[in-house]
Amino acid sequence: MKKTLKRTLGLLLVLCITVGLLAGCGSSGGSTAAPSGGEEAGEEVVTIRVMSSDDFAGFRTSVIAEFEEANPGIKIDFQSVGYDALHQKEVTALAAGSDTYDIVDVDCIWTPEYVTNGYIECIDDRLTDEMKTGIAPVAMDTLMYEGKYYGLPMFNDLFFMYYNKDILSQAGVTDMPATWDEFTEVCQQMQEAGLIDYGSAWGWAQAEGLICYYMTFLKGFGGSLTDEEHNPTVNLPENVAALQYMVDSLYETNISDPASVTSDDRMAIDLFSQGKTPFVINWSFAWSVFNDPEQSAVADKVGVMLVPGTGDVKSATCAGSMGLSITSTCKHKDEAWKFIEFLASKEIQKRQAIEAGALPIWEELYTDAELIEQHPALEAMLEQVGYAHNRPSLVWYNEFSDVLQVEIQNALTQNKTPQQALDDAQAKALEIQKKY
Amino acid sequence: MKKNMARRGLDMGVHPYLYIAPALIALTAVVLLPLLYAFYLSLFKTQGLNGTFVGLANYISILKEDYFWESTGRTAYFTIVSVMLEFILGMLVALLLNEKFRWRGIARAMLILPWALPTVVNGVLWSWIFNSSYGSLNGLLSQLGLIDKYINWLGEPGIAMNCVIFADVWKNYAMIALILLAGLQTIPADYYEAAKIDGANAVQRFFGVTLPLMKPSILVCLVLRTMEAFKVFDIVYTMTKGGPANGTQVISYYTYQTTFQYSQFGTGAALSYLVSLFILLMAIVYVRLITGKGNES
Repeated sequence: MKKTLKRTLGLLLVLCITVGLLAGCGSSGGSTAAPSGGEEAGEEVVTIRVMSSDDFAGFRTSVIAEFEEANPGIKIDFQSVGYDALHQKEVTALAAGSDTYDIVDVDCIWTPEYVTNGYIECIDDRLTDEMKTGIAPVAMDTLMYEGKYYGLPMFNDLFFMYYNKDILSQAGVTDMPATWDEFTEVCQQMQEAGLIDYGSAWGWAQAEGLICYYMTFLKGFGGSLTDEEHNPTVNLPENVAALQYMVDSLYETNISDPASVTSDDRMAIDLFSQGKTPFVINWSFAWSVFNDPEQSAVADKVGVMLVPGTGDVKSATCAGSMGLSITSTCKHKDEAWKFIEFLASKEIQKRQAIEAGALPIWEELYTDAELIEQHPALEAMLEQVGYAHNRPSLVWYNEFSDVLQVEIQNALTQNKTPQQALDDAQAKALEIQKKY
Repeated sequence: MKKNMARRGLDMGVHPYLYIAPALIALTAVVLLPLLYAFYLSLFKTQGLNGTFVGLANYISILKEDYFWESTGRTAYFTIVSVMLEFILGMLVALLLNEKFRWRGIARAMLILPWALPTVVNGVLWSWIFNSSYGSLNGLLSQLGLIDKYINWLGEPGIAMNCVIFADVWKNYAMIALILLAGLQTIPADYYEAAKIDGANAVQRFFGVTLPLMKPSILVCLVLRTMEAFKVFDIVYTMTKGGPANGTQVISYYTYQTTFQYSQFGTGAALSYLVSLFILLMAIVYVRLITGKGNES
């Protein structure tokens, strides 16, 4: 008897030690019934819970009070997390079918997944004619899947090439590099003159940002990750050439900071904002970081130029807009839509451009005189919009992206040749495609 | 006397179970139910949390996956190297702190500092130290003239894993040292005296007296650390995110990716069951070792 009891207790102990790991998996959605705060004269106050990415969260928070004042029946409960934690945060709540969030921030690459799993609402019948014709198509596509719309983009974001005016004028560079070969030459010239250690730092760590950088090069070299039928075409010769250029920039031409391999796209701007590199490619939020004297040593010295291309391609870059969607579990969809509509309105979009540096979604704002005056890089940024490419829209994108990240890193750390790495990535991509 | 107490324990009837009930209910709710649910989930090919029943197909496809075995191998490497280093370092520090010297109290208190740091803080701290452009390690080595070019510590798959292990050892050796120090203090001084009189030198005293008497403490810390190390996730997440080129992708990180990044909850659940199976096997071996020792005395 005593022995069996001891044995049972021992077994229980073993179990307890083991399960710690599992507990994380069967995550519970946890219903958070938000108490509706302060009821006003018989009118019920509806709380809308928003899960947003940290990018531009500061600006969004700052306009909430205004919205609540204009809509006394609605209260906004606004939460934000870093981009890297966002997908997990949303998916755990959405997959469990809990109504934790009424509005979620959706990156363009997640749209197919969210739509096929039924996490977000189609908003086709809420779209006004003005929205359909007035919002830039490259931004509107962020939340489009199979011809239907599932939310509104909150900014029109792409990779821009920023340059340091001081360093370039010291080096006597007057013609901006228009091709990647010229880019290498210009950087090497400045390195030989002792002006800089490296031409640029990149966010080539194993993360989604790496795919955005790779897309930028690959499109610039005329390549493509998928064909028109959404089949992977990872090892096209153009793609190999693009990757070869990236590898060479680390080990042959030495124009890239070796730390690029461990920096993500958010960290890639550090060297540039200290005035140590003449060029950097990054999102639009970087513009306001560079021009904030508290965070940067290059305030007012930054220009925006077209991302270089190759022979046939004038310029190419990667788009990465995000937008807000109403969740399927939301109980107050009309109120949630009101808030999304408010953030997407021309007035707020214009202010977001001036205060936070985001490119607005409305095409007519691109010629707005006041905006151009307040945001000197706007014109150069607009030119870049014409050369933006979205990453492939696939249900299996996340897994595809991870395989690509690993294989590109294998090439960047010289574990494999670019050809070998991309051949392997292609083989794995075909396997993943079959699974879905 | 001993027998008496045992008898009284049994005589208490339902009381022990009553006292244990609250904890048991809580454990059932937060551990046992999710555990069963995760198993249920692991039998489905999921889309969101809905899915089609596929039986053991998830398990079979995982076992065929190269990524799974590669990351299991990496996890084993991480576990063996880090636990071994932590144990050796912990033992040496415990022996040192068991000697009488001035400031011993302060030294013992300082020992606990790294362990008191949250793992995430530790990870961020070390990723800055290892940073290739601004890291203090590169600064130190180049000022000492040991390297002429900065090394990208976390950028080379082979080196990165060892850097993560280093950071883990720095934090966790302290716990082992603490447990071993406590164990050392329970060894009566006359054993050593007797050994000395018999002519045993320091090394012989260590292997002849200290080590055998320390067996319970050693087992406890090895059990705890091995299982924790096998589940390692947070330090990898903060330092390398599994990169570069999957060089630090350990099994828990792979499970996390499958579950939360690819939203494949079924496969993710199956993966965590397989990992748990490994840990369960280790736990059984260890518990055998501990209780086996208990029966002898």
